[in-house]
Amino acid sequence: MRRVEHVMGFPVSLRVDDADVPEAAVDAVFAWLHEADARFSPFRPDSEVSRLDRGELSGEALSTDLREVLDLCEHYRTATGGAFDVRLPGRGLDPCAVVKGWSVQRAAELLTAAGAERFCLNAGGDVAAADGPWRIGVRHPELADRLCTMLEITDGAVATSARYERGDGRTGRPATGLLSMTIVAPTPTEADSVATAAFAMGTEGIEWAASREGCEVFAVDAERRVFRTPGLPVAA
Amino acid sequence: MKRALSVLALTIAGLVPVWRYAPADGTTTTGSAAPASTPSASTGTSDSSGQVVAGSTVNTEKGAVQVEVTFAGDEISSVRMLKQPNHPQTTAAVPKLIEETLEAQSADIDTVSGATVTSEGYRESLQATLDAIDAKGA
Repeated sequence: MRRVEHVMGFPVSLRVDDADVPEAAVDAVFAWLHEADARFSPFRPDSEVSRLDRGELSGEALSTDLREVLDLCEHYRTATGGAFDVRLPGRGLDPCAVVKGWSVQRAAELLTAAGAERFCLNAGGDVAAADGPWRIGVRHPELADRLCTMLEITDGAVATSARYERGDGRTGRPATGLLSMTIVAPTPTEADSVATAAFAMGTEGIEWAASREGCEVFAVDAERRVFRTPGLPVAA
Repeated sequence: MKRALSVLALTIAGLVPVWRYAPADGTTTTGSAAPASTPSASTGTSDSSGQVVAGSTVNTEKGAVQVEVTFAGDEISSVRMLKQPNHPQTTAAVPKLIEETLEAQSADIDTVSGATVTSEGYRESLQATLDAIDAKGA
């Protein structure tokens, strides 16, 4: 079963190889991603995130999900010594970097709960894969139609943060010295958050990401040098 | 310039113990804060805003330290760390990184990881091609 939909402003491709997984399970995945967008997008004035930012939500009014997202944001802010910050001066609260990976992880959990065993979910370049091997190409930072490496993942997640589209506007920081930062991790939340945070940290982020337990790194710096961890699951 | 260089050497020598200092460590090391290598300065560049000199890399047990000093005349106007241990207090082992050259490949894949954020980006992406092939084959 395969489906592509545009959610949160990016394409989401899902492939489920189990024959006995109902279509409704796939519907539920896309419904959840649309719900996550509606509730946590800082670009929607009526989202929980926007209401929190305007001071309209506090204390017990916060949903369990939003609390979980904010806790994750705080975890990564501390872990990066402040390089990863969803509350930058002069800008609204923007937990996008955490919400993306976190909602992909929830989507993968929905699939597993519905009995799916072998699937590959790609949400705007963030990949959650189960029961592979899955061959996952990493987009070349300068050539949109080429790959710079190929990974083989059985169960796990891959996320890439790069300058070719995202720019540094997201972090409000100057150029980082990296062209792209790819992380392989056990979960989409960790992969996406670490990729975003390490990219914001620049070249220092390479070692920082490499030192995180369970994370494998493929980074391209501004001089087009590649730095990767020995454990990176490069496809044969 | 001679005076400037001696100031630079002192600056580096002064910074090294800072990085060696580990408050979490119960043991004390007194009087042995000498740098692992003798600092020397590489030839600097100069422009209208002053002369910029990069110090040599000093290896400490916390990692390599290198500073860059900007002079305005004989005065130090700023000191910048070129290399510093990322997390002086961490004991987590950083895996040795492998350095490679960037390649441009094309190969048989199931999906693509990339920072595809916009729909414009998607249209020209490999993932769009893969989805189109999947749709035909499905």
